[in-house]
Amino acid sequence: MFYAQLLVNGLVQGLVIGLAALSITLVFGIARFPNAATGDAMTLGGYSALAAFKATGSMALGGVAAFLATAVVSLLAYLAVFRQLANRSVVSLLVASIGVAFFIRAVLGVTFGHAQQVFMAPLSRPYVLGGVRITPLDLQLAAVAAIALAAVFGLLYFTPIGRQMRAVADNRDLARVSGVRPGRVMVALWLLAGGVAGVGGMMLGVKTIVSPESGWEMLLPAFTAAILGGIGSPGGAVLAGLLLGVAQEASTPFVGFTYKIALAFVIMLAVLLVRPRGLFGRVEGAR
Amino acid sequence: MTTTRRQFVGGLGAAAGLVAAPGILRAQTQGVYRIGALCPVTGSGSPFGSGMQKMIGAAADIVNAAGGAAGRKLEVVYEDTQTNPQAAVLAAKKLIDVNKVQILMGTWSSGVSLAVIPLTNDANIILMNTSGAPALSTPPANAKGLSYRYQATNDRFGRAFAEICVKEGFKRPATMAFNNASGIGNTEGFRKAWEAKGGKVVESVVYEPNQPTYRSELQKVLAANPDVIVTGSYLADTTIFMREWYQTGQAVKWIMPGWAASPDLVKAVGPDVVEGVISVDSVSNENAPSYKAYDEAYKKATGQPGQANVYAAMTWDMVHVLALAMEAANSADTQAINAKIREIANPPGQQVFSFAEGKDALKKGKINFEGASSVLDFDQYGDVTPDFGVFFIEGGKLNRRYVVKI
Repeated sequence: MFYAQLLVNGLVQGLVIGLAALSITLVFGIARFPNAATGDAMTLGGYSALAAFKATGSMALGGVAAFLATAVVSLLAYLAVFRQLANRSVVSLLVASIGVAFFIRAVLGVTFGHAQQVFMAPLSRPYVLGGVRITPLDLQLAAVAAIALAAVFGLLYFTPIGRQMRAVADNRDLARVSGVRPGRVMVALWLLAGGVAGVGGMMLGVKTIVSPESGWEMLLPAFTAAILGGIGSPGGAVLAGLLLGVAQEASTPFVGFTYKIALAFVIMLAVLLVRPRGLFGRVEGAR
Repeated sequence: MTTTRRQFVGGLGAAAGLVAAPGILRAQTQGVYRIGALCPVTGSGSPFGSGMQKMIGAAADIVNAAGGAAGRKLEVVYEDTQTNPQAAVLAAKKLIDVNKVQILMGTWSSGVSLAVIPLTNDANIILMNTSGAPALSTPPANAKGLSYRYQATNDRFGRAFAEICVKEGFKRPATMAFNNASGIGNTEGFRKAWEAKGGKVVESVVYEPNQPTYRSELQKVLAANPDVIVTGSYLADTTIFMREWYQTGQAVKWIMPGWAASPDLVKAVGPDVVEGVISVDSVSNENAPSYKAYDEAYKKATGQPGQANVYAAMTWDMVHVLALAMEAANSADTQAINAKIREIANPPGQQVFSFAEGKDALKKGKINFEGASSVLDFDQYGDVTPDFGVFFIEGGKLNRRYVVKI
């Protein structure tokens, strides 16, 4: 029962990590660089959701606002920065994304101040199922995450633009000669990656607090999950996020709370050594 | 590459600026004493940091208005620690090497102060901090005796927590500590004092910052069935675990340091969740005229009462102690100032409450500056022993029930 409770605790944490990892892996698969601005895009999602939640009192509208605002800002970042650097090396793009991250964080800090803000969601007693406590808020958040994930995967696998995105991810040159227009794909990608990060940021904000630094601190576990899931594999990223969350919590009786974070990095190290392509990644030839 | 006229003129201007700059700097150092105000404007110290900086500025203005200290005007250079040791070290390096400050003051959170103190020791300048970690008292951190602490040590906080447990009749305390020198200092100080009284701590957990949930940590502590949980925590993490604790429905009392159980916590989680939480903080020297002056300055600068920020009272005192020690030493040399700090702050001597008053009294003899934050009597380690206010959160308000002396 004790472990079942840890499992539930870990799933909630894992969903947040999974959404962030999904955003990272989408960008990596298609635009081919690790986007360090993902954490701060999450923060932006947290603030937009909070603003909408304060204005309307609805968590669902908060989620919509987080998705839209972050999607738009992420697209702007692409148009203003990443598109200009599209043909540069991965390192230039990585450094540029760190710059975008700092910019978003600074703007949020100046606009909203550095004091912590919280979602004043009503606190309610948990449901007890066979001795395991599950809070209604967690169920709502899980539902929001599930809807966001369903939308993303639906888009990726059942729409023409999704097929084009996957085609570009598979083989950019082949996609281009087959008549896929990379411009449209990139716009769709950045809207989607931003929106997913925004929803993750809202979940993080509801669970914890909203402050300009909050998303940045999620970046490392998110990268770990993206690598573990196999870079470029959307399903893998979400599953790896969940695995990571559960593994961290389930390890605490053995390693204690101080070292559960280190566990994420031990897992990442093991994956890189044993199975560098991750759970669902493909072996990529170097060209 | 061709150079356009505009580029050329721009380059010329920059070059001229470079040539002229040292002259400007030299001109400024005449009769100026530079203070580095290194405070937590962002990060978990953000509820306090900007108020702390404003009071350093306000106190420096008062000193300058009274003719300066040792014939010098005080000039303040501000930096943000981000409540993060790495960022604080970079900021301290910049203040010391680029701005050439002659003292650093206002560091908050022990991790930050412990990271910065090797730099101030190397530069042979004084560090005035508001951190609680016991390690700051002794070598290697305080090897040169240049550290002054305006906050009670975490050890003293722990002792106060144990006194409160006795007074409130708690029998089965558990502890939760944020994993840094201050958080663990609080709970270890408590454990030592509590075990010295013959008690036993039923469970203790050390947790990491920035986690999306602390439910597993709570699960472990609550499984031991404590009647009170003593924390060494900060605002952000406390916000998260208090909400999660409330949702578990298990009844338990809490004793927390004041920087965690603050009005901001009530605002963040709502009054129901924190009803009955005991918040412990060092009490400012509230009946002293120095506190009144501080309170007015704080209201003017921030629109809030001085009580809202005990650390701002400490930084206010830092500038006063520095200026009076400079005045007594009639020098801006660190060693000379350092030799005078205990002399002007501790008894014996005429009690003074403001810089102008102290400056006058120094002409006649010894003084004993009584600060806004405490009576400021530094022991051999540069530590002060304030009294502790015990606040109960009732209906969303922090009500002070009594004061504990240790």
